[in-house]
Amino acid sequence: MKKSKLNIWFVVLAVCAFSLTNELLAQGPPINTDSPILLGLEGGGFRTFGKIVSTDLGETYIQPLAIPYNLTTNLQIGAIQPFVTRFPKNGENQSGFGNLSLFAKQMLLQIDSKAKTFRSLLKFTQTFPTGASSVSADVYSSQFMLVTGFVTLDYSLNTSIGYSFVSENLPDNLVYNFAFGYPLLPQKYPPFQLNLYLELNGQHTFDVNKSILFLSPGIQLITSSIFLVESSLQFPIVDDIGIMNFTYSLGIRYLIF
Amino acid sequence: MKRIKYILLLFILLGVSSSFAQDKEVKIRVDGLSCPFCAYGLEKKLNDIEGVENIHIDFEKGLVTLNIVGSQKISEDEIKSKVEEAGFTPKKIEISDFKKTSTKTIK
Repeated sequence: MKKSKLNIWFVVLAVCAFSLTNELLAQGPPINTDSPILLGLEGGGFRTFGKIVSTDLGETYIQPLAIPYNLTTNLQIGAIQPFVTRFPKNGENQSGFGNLSLFAKQMLLQIDSKAKTFRSLLKFTQTFPTGASSVSADVYSSQFMLVTGFVTLDYSLNTSIGYSFVSENLPDNLVYNFAFGYPLLPQKYPPFQLNLYLELNGQHTFDVNKSILFLSPGIQLITSSIFLVESSLQFPIVDDIGIMNFTYSLGIRYLIF
Repeated sequence: MKRIKYILLLFILLGVSSSFAQDKEVKIRVDGLSCPFCAYGLEKKLNDIEGVENIHIDFEKGLVTLNIVGSQKISEDEIKSKVEEAGFTPKKIEISDFKKTSTKTIK
């Protein structure tokens, strides 16, 4: 494979993998950006969704499963295992398990007041090259991310910025996300909520100096205290590699016990 | 015979009053309650306390109310610790006696 093609394929995989990691680590709203709220559950929950990444090279479908576990109130660990199917325009379809990621989140700052909270945490994600080489990058990556959020009953603001070190002399990545959330229904418990989100999700790949920035509107329906369904579209507003069309995700979060 | 009746009446009254005294109503001011989906952890932690019933969470007021039924003893420290374990900040905690009242449905 030519180096330029390798770089483009790597950037596409990186967009799939790293944006996926961000989304899956989000324990509560928003949809595509991580949240600093750890929920206070020992375990028993999972999150999964289907995501289609459409590019000029073809479509990729990703179905991840994330399982978090709180070791303490301020420390959470977990694992993410995606299943990936590629539908290339030239070539046969390929599918298999993607790379396994393990993560830890440590709360750094928590300032609570009546019906408001400001929180910040440090997240570390280690990805291993356990996936099938046809659908995942054969590299280790270590990501450090600072996640911050201000959540009130009227709106929520979440940001995250992370740096990924990638092995095999492949370029490192800078990931950055911003999310604004607006609830359409009164906040009550048990919840029945309809939330709108507008997010910016970006990634810069060093060495090749390619950036992708998505504008991501989304909608989320929370039907009970343990279940929600959500959907989001991502349109590239900056696309240095020039092949990204859109991504679409539809998913659920479910707390089993 | 009259004496036995008085003694029986006394026992009944004592029994009724002590059962009323065992039920408690707890009001907890909780800071950081800003996301209803995030409050499930709080409900779960409070449900760990024996005898807890009727947990109600008011987000606007930042107020959690619950009842504790039976003879279980409850301390402010235990409640405080459960709220903290759920990732929120407990403020004022009020524990008072709670008397169940019978309700009638009028059609």
